Amino acid sequence: MAETYENADEIVAARRAYNETLAQAHDKRRVFWFPLTVVLLLLALPALQLVGNYNYLIHIVLYTLCYVTMASGWNIIGGFTGYISLGHNVFFAVGGYFAGMILARYGISTIVMAPIAGLVCAALGYLIGLITLRVRGPSFIISSLALVMIFRIFFENWHFVGGAAGVSLPTNDLSVETAKFPYYYAFLAMAVFAVWASYKIKHSKFGLGLRAISKDEIKAESAGIDTRLYKVLAFAISAFFVGMAGAVWGEYLTYIRPNIFLVILISVNMVLMCIIGGKGTIAGPVIGAVLIVAFNEFFVATLGASAINILATGMIMALTLMFFPLGLVGTLAKHRKLPRILNWD
Amino acid sequence: MADMLQILILGIALGGVYALMGAGLSLVFGVMRIVNLAHPSLIMMGAYVAYWAFKLYGIDPLVILPVAMIILAVTGVLLYKLVFEREAKSATYSEMTVLLTFALAMIFEGGLATAFTNTQRVTSPEYATDAIFLGDIFIPLGQLYAGIVSLILIGGLALFLKYSRFGYAIRATTQNREAAQLLGVNVNLVGLVSFAIGLALAGAAGSLVSFVFSFFPSKHWEWIAVLMSLVVLGGMGSILGTVVAAYLLSIVAAFVGFFFGATWSTLTFFLALFVVLLVRPQGLFGEKPELA
Amino acid sequence: MTKLLEVKNVVAGYGDGPAILNGASIAVQPGKVHCIIGPNGAGKSTLLKAICGMLTIRQGDVTFKGKNLKGLRPDQVLREGICFVPQERALFPKMTVRENLRMGGFSMPDKSTLEKRIDEIEERFPILKERRDQHAGTMSGGQQQTLAMARTMILRPEIVMLDEPSLGLAPKIVQEVFEIMRVMTEDGITVLLVEQNALMGLKHADWGVVLDLGRTLFEGPAAEVLTDPRIQELYLGGKKAA
Repeated sequence: MAETYENADEIVAARRAYNETLAQAHDKRRVFWFPLTVVLLLLALPALQLVGNYNYLIHIVLYTLCYVTMASGWNIIGGFTGYISLGHNVFFAVGGYFAGMILARYGISTIVMAPIAGLVCAALGYLIGLITLRVRGPSFIISSLALVMIFRIFFENWHFVGGAAGVSLPTNDLSVETAKFPYYYAFLAMAVFAVWASYKIKHSKFGLGLRAISKDEIKAESAGIDTRLYKVLAFAISAFFVGMAGAVWGEYLTYIRPNIFLVILISVNMVLMCIIGGKGTIAGPVIGAVLIVAFNEFFVATLGASAINILATGMIMALTLMFFPLGLVGTLAKHRKLPRILNWD
Repeated sequence: MADMLQILILGIALGGVYALMGAGLSLVFGVMRIVNLAHPSLIMMGAYVAYWAFKLYGIDPLVILPVAMIILAVTGVLLYKLVFEREAKSATYSEMTVLLTFALAMIFEGGLATAFTNTQRVTSPEYATDAIFLGDIFIPLGQLYAGIVSLILIGGLALFLKYSRFGYAIRATTQNREAAQLLGVNVNLVGLVSFAIGLALAGAAGSLVSFVFSFFPSKHWEWIAVLMSLVVLGGMGSILGTVVAAYLLSIVAAFVGFFFGATWSTLTFFLALFVVLLVRPQGLFGEKPELA
Repeated sequence: MTKLLEVKNVVAGYGDGPAILNGASIAVQPGKVHCIIGPNGAGKSTLLKAICGMLTIRQGDVTFKGKNLKGLRPDQVLREGICFVPQERALFPKMTVRENLRMGGFSMPDKSTLEKRIDEIEERFPILKERRDQHAGTMSGGQQQTLAMARTMILRPEIVMLDEPSLGLAPKIVQEVFEIMRVMTEDGITVLLVEQNALMGLKHADWGVVLDLGRTLFEGPAAEVLTDPRIQELYLGGKKAA
């Protein structure tokens, strides 16, 4: 005794409608005027120094721009490719030390050396990636942590760079009001470059390959993508940006020391900014950087001590991971509520 | 010659403590497939339990050890229920959850630092500074006791896994979670109990650490890297591998330390990690290579 | 028509993703072989997983001998008397054949009969006896399927669900697999299988269920399903198939 539930035509029609709903309608409305406006505003910001002492504000924005550069860089390997590196501050350190030592010895500005420091880090990243990217997931994360430890011990014991005490760097000759300006514009340029570069990468064949790798590496490999090359390249490119930022940061701080550059919090911040903003998106790292710096300032202002800082950072990270793993941009996009100004993808 | 033997014994004793630390981590990985980066910070918690018990009440760390184990086991149950149970159902389980454990590590570190400050601590029962002499060989009593207790606990774990019904369930879940589930194993319960056991072992390790090393809240970062090296060298998912790697590396590190200094000694673990990744990514006893 | 297992309008999906099953139903009768067919993505495997508890059932009912299975864990469903062999066969590769069989009896409350049952199974499936100390991971696909199916019989379940048992197997081996199913029904076990190879599946079955888009399209005696012209055209490869 047979039972028929529907008939074939209805099913075919229903199937078509169903496929329609599954296809994620990509919101193609991109707005360039918003980031452009922001950049213009930032370009003009230092002019505030003419009307009052806004040194601290400039410092905060500079600091945020440094992290925007690094987070955007990290996003290339962590967000696009899906390999979570917890040890990227290694490149921050190498960049900082490279340019810092050259400044100390030969007087060449780190701003000039920054791209070269970036390239050095890229090369280093390439070599390291060849080893560590042989394993996936948890093992990769572990190796990135070990990397930090190795470099920390290395720098702390290398007398040439001053060991644990580090090296002090010369300050520039500018007036108090304008002292931060070169670094400010350097970081602004880097940040713009980093965001622009991630946009370009994401919309290239390379970026598509990276995304394939992050979803399913084996299938990507069998589709003909040279996953090894792609991964290592992504790692190297991400190292480039982090290294560049590190180079200028050293001069800005006027000293290079292992416990400044190789502290785990820097790495964590990079990762956390991408996660809270939206891993794998273009606007994510930027928003994440702003949010985290804002949180930090808030905590330091209200709670002061640094131990609570770690506790608070950990809590934010844990809560974000548990309840908003796609980050601000990602979660909004998933629910189709992303404001156009934030859709930079 | 006596020197060599002494170093060997030191390495073995230390290896025991590392093995204990790593065994808990490996157990949790095998069952839940996550690397718990917060494990070392929980060991620190155990160390603080032992410290305060000693400082405030004069209780010997070895005596407080079972209590530390219980406290950590309860913490494990809470953590599992609050955090990991729901994570197990999420799609991006593996990497995101590892990051989550990283966040937990920071939370614990921050909590311990806020509560107890960053001062270096160490418990100092009598035997921590005593030693016995076997002929020409000088064996620090504290480390000897630590080594013995570690062996006992690891042995206990091994027996439990091999001969008990629940141990059987754990092993099955580690080998093939889906199959175990379909054959009647309550894999969620197995996860919960394994996590509790893993943390109990961390608590025990903490008590031992309290008199073997001096510690402070952020020391767990050192342990993370060391333990990770052990787990990768031993092979992810193999408790035996982790234990063997612990003894092996500790002995090597002890000798390296003797000839080249303490810094190189610590470096041994990290370099070993990289060598393993280069040469044999699945480690000594690992399952299928997680090769890229 | 008595219904041993009744699945009514089940809605289910993976995690918090979209619903794969959108109102699937089947009526399972005791002692018969039921074959579920349908195109890729229809939700066939999903249906079996929902029944055995691996997926949460969002809406609908699954009633087994009058008892509601909704919300039970897989190990609980097993104890009710329903076994599931997934596509991956769920064997323990590092355990031997005999150890795998023993693991099959994990949920038995009384272990005294376990060894005897293992011996019985080994007698009925000589290939398993022959390779009793071989690691399950080293066996061929057909042998693994035999082991997986034989293992379910240790518990003497009421229903055995098989997800694409013929997957990746040579035609001759597939015949052997269907033979094992016949042996199961002779033992009084009800079989519910998902088959990609619709023709073959329906030929060996008593009852056919056609699933598409997560809904049951049509169910009836296998012979009727096989010869229904609509079904022939959509899912059996056209009017030429017979």
